[in-house]
Amino acid sequence: MPKRFDQARPFLTLGLLVAAWLIIPTVFKVFTRASFFELTAPIGVAASYARDLQEFWTLRLHSNSELIEAGRDLARLNASYDLAVQQNTEMQGEIARLEGILRLPSYTGFRSEHARVVRRDFSGWWQRLTIRKGKNYNLVVGAPVVFSGGVVGRISEVFAYTATVDLISSQTVRLAAVVEGDTRPISYQGGLNPTFGSAGGVLEFVPLDIFASANSTKRLVTSGLGGVFPPGLTIGAVIKVEPSTDGLFKSGEVKIDDRLAALTEVTVLIPISSQ
Amino acid sequence: MAANENSLADHSGKLFESHKGYDPRIVFFYFVTAGLLLLLAGGLAYEQLFKSEIHNEKERTQNQRLIIVPAPRGNIYDRHGQLLVGNRPRFAVVLNLDELRAKFRTEFIRIHGNYRETGDKDIPTADQLWSLARVSVVQAYLEQVNAILGRDLKVDPKRLGNHFARELLLPYPLIEDLPPADYAKLIERLPVVSPLQLYTTNTREYPFGSAASQTLGYVGINENVESENFAGAKLKTFKMRGSIGRDGLELKFDNTLQGEAGGSIFRVDPAGYRLRETKPIESRLPVQGKNIVTSLDIDLQLAAEQAIGDQTGAAVAIDIKTGEVLVLASKPDYDLSKFTPRLSHEDAADISARGAWTNIAIGGAFPPGSTFKILTSIAGLRRGLLDPTQPIADCQGYVRIGNKTFVCDNGRGRHGEVLMAEAIAHSCDIYYFAAGRLITPQLLAEEGRRFHLHQRTGIELPNETGRMIMPDPAYKERVIGEKWFPGDTANMSIGQGYVLVTPLEMACFAASVARNEVFTKPTLIHHDNAPVQRTESIGLTPSQRAALIEGMVGTIDHGTGSALNIPMFKIPGVRIAGKTGTAQKEITKDGKTGNINFAWFLCFAPADNPEIAVVVMLEGDTIGETFGGGRNSGPIAATVLKKYFEKKNRPADQKITTPFKTD
Repeated sequence: MPKRFDQARPFLTLGLLVAAWLIIPTVFKVFTRASFFELTAPIGVAASYARDLQEFWTLRLHSNSELIEAGRDLARLNASYDLAVQQNTEMQGEIARLEGILRLPSYTGFRSEHARVVRRDFSGWWQRLTIRKGKNYNLVVGAPVVFSGGVVGRISEVFAYTATVDLISSQTVRLAAVVEGDTRPISYQGGLNPTFGSAGGVLEFVPLDIFASANSTKRLVTSGLGGVFPPGLTIGAVIKVEPSTDGLFKSGEVKIDDRLAALTEVTVLIPISSQ
Repeated sequence: MAANENSLADHSGKLFESHKGYDPRIVFFYFVTAGLLLLLAGGLAYEQLFKSEIHNEKERTQNQRLIIVPAPRGNIYDRHGQLLVGNRPRFAVVLNLDELRAKFRTEFIRIHGNYRETGDKDIPTADQLWSLARVSVVQAYLEQVNAILGRDLKVDPKRLGNHFARELLLPYPLIEDLPPADYAKLIERLPVVSPLQLYTTNTREYPFGSAASQTLGYVGINENVESENFAGAKLKTFKMRGSIGRDGLELKFDNTLQGEAGGSIFRVDPAGYRLRETKPIESRLPVQGKNIVTSLDIDLQLAAEQAIGDQTGAAVAIDIKTGEVLVLASKPDYDLSKFTPRLSHEDAADISARGAWTNIAIGGAFPPGSTFKILTSIAGLRRGLLDPTQPIADCQGYVRIGNKTFVCDNGRGRHGEVLMAEAIAHSCDIYYFAAGRLITPQLLAEEGRRFHLHQRTGIELPNETGRMIMPDPAYKERVIGEKWFPGDTANMSIGQGYVLVTPLEMACFAASVARNEVFTKPTLIHHDNAPVQRTESIGLTPSQRAALIEGMVGTIDHGTGSALNIPMFKIPGVRIAGKTGTAQKEITKDGKTGNINFAWFLCFAPADNPEIAVVVMLEGDTIGETFGGGRNSGPIAATVLKKYFEKKNRPADQKITTPFKTD
């Protein structure tokens, strides 16, 4: 008998643990799960710092001439950006003035927070990113994330020092978009994408008078009407629209910027009202 | 051991019950059992093999539900492709109640527990608790929407209860007709996977508001959308509301416009909730109805309606060669955009009070007045009873017929001995009283029937009146029970008395005269290569026809329609052949009895090579009001003609006018 009991002990223990897990309060489980992420997060963060260090030493290998040349290019770029910033400031003033005259509600203001990408979700790397900022920088769930090429996605979870971003190629992200030059909102949603293929999304409720094809694409941008994203940010290129049989709308496909798969730096836009 | 065995065998009858290999009674039960087993097997086989389809159908009926989604209706265009009636999407946020079963149960238990904890003796019944639970859960979802849109909406328990009882599988609309900004907010802020979903239906859109409203017609709610050739005909079916034509072209061409409803078959649990796994077992998208291209020209239609303005009346314009109706205007009318999504009681009452439901062009029969003199002339000429070169009466402003005195309403003095052309141009009643006497009422009525003025035109519209009358003595005897008097003939010859016609009939008559034929079949459907209509010739000699046309041109040049000669209405290079008419009808209004006038104008142009025929009829609404065909209706017809020739002479790429917007 004792021998048989010894044989059954692992199963008994497992049963007891399962029973305990079922019985213990939900609060404890949530705490455990959050702790797990918080405890494992430094591993990813440390790895990203290591990568940064690696890149730093790689850059150190460049010659002085190359660095001087790069610095000169950067200075030129900065000059053009300075000009663009001045023009934007002027245009923002004009927009504010017109909004005042027409008594239009102004778009939500945002504070930008730049963050390094820690890792991508390899089960579907184009769907989720982890970034190296979290509650420590007042990031909030739902905040839009952008990069120089347009929209990256939305923050879905925020931890103490990291945050998870659902990419716009993910089926869980839906945006109110417009085709550039049009004002009618269209529903954009991430598509069912292959793991290592180029990512895309789907469009619904496209007005019948909008046409696009792979040879004649249209730029899809955020509408700003949804209140989450500022207007005018690039989502992707509309490569196909076709009428639905009910004759009311068209549906379409969107190709997303391939650079989303290799991002190292993103910007989180934090609504000023949320602070 | 062997000895022991023998010993047992020997005593078996005493110590143990022995087993007999053969016992008739047991064998009998073998057969009984076998028979019963066979019966069971047979029954099973019968149920499984022969009745399997019935059981499958029962199982299907019990576990599957069909949802039918109506198709958007086809569009209606004018002859140049301008959209007259289309569809616009209606965005709604809906809640899929059938996904909330667990939440309803949890809420039920919570509410029930609360009652028990508080020791309340008046615990509601189970049904009431379920109702409270449903309202509470749905309100929680509505609060999510309220928070996004900044609204403060509450669930209507009665409406929710009805929906739950009758349309559980259909989405429950929380907010309908969302503006684009709200719709955009919900796209971005509602969770993608949620019982809350954005949903689109469609409703009719009328870019031109009230233009051609009675002709285009309107739609009503169709609670019983049919989905033909769908496999789930016997299943319990939930139907989303569609639309059905109620008047005008929407009604007449309902089958064409209706489209093909779509639908989905879902598997449900015994309580009727959709199973969670679940894509539809079968699904078919709705297919939009076919479009209709009407013969209407919206620019001409708008010109006619704006010219009629607030008056009561109708204007009809017809393409003389094909019979295609270019204008079918009727006033007062109604704003079609008020019918979407549904007409309010107040608006319906307002339309009724203004008498705007009736399409006067086809639904009202009126005495045609002097425009009928064209028919009288043709009847007399064709039979050789009138000679255009010979006077038949000396107009001194009045004449005595029987024991009554008839005056020449258009004389303003005396016409004297006029020939036919001048009698037409100046609309001399005395000439036509004499003509009527010569022709006889029987022949006049026969001529009217020859031009199909006694019957419906058969235009593709519902509610075309059948009250038109082409009277003769037999008619009066039969219907009124009185003898026909000479005065009746006099009245008939100038289009009064018992003669009743619709404006559309007179427009067809004008087109027929222009083509020198006896009938024009009107149509509201446009064909790019519509054939020229060919019917029986009127039968006038060239000189007779020339006199008739000369009289009609004279009407505009120097006769009763000379109001069209002012520069405002003059069309350079186009001669118009026309005829005015003013008929009277005695009415009693506000306790006062007197005559109101019906002002007619009938014409076609160009007189030499006719393309378009126009008829305008205005109905006076004030007793004793001076209201004349030449002065009041003529300018409206001139406006339509001017617009027609203006468009015709435009370059091809400028034929379409920008839509007239009504705010």
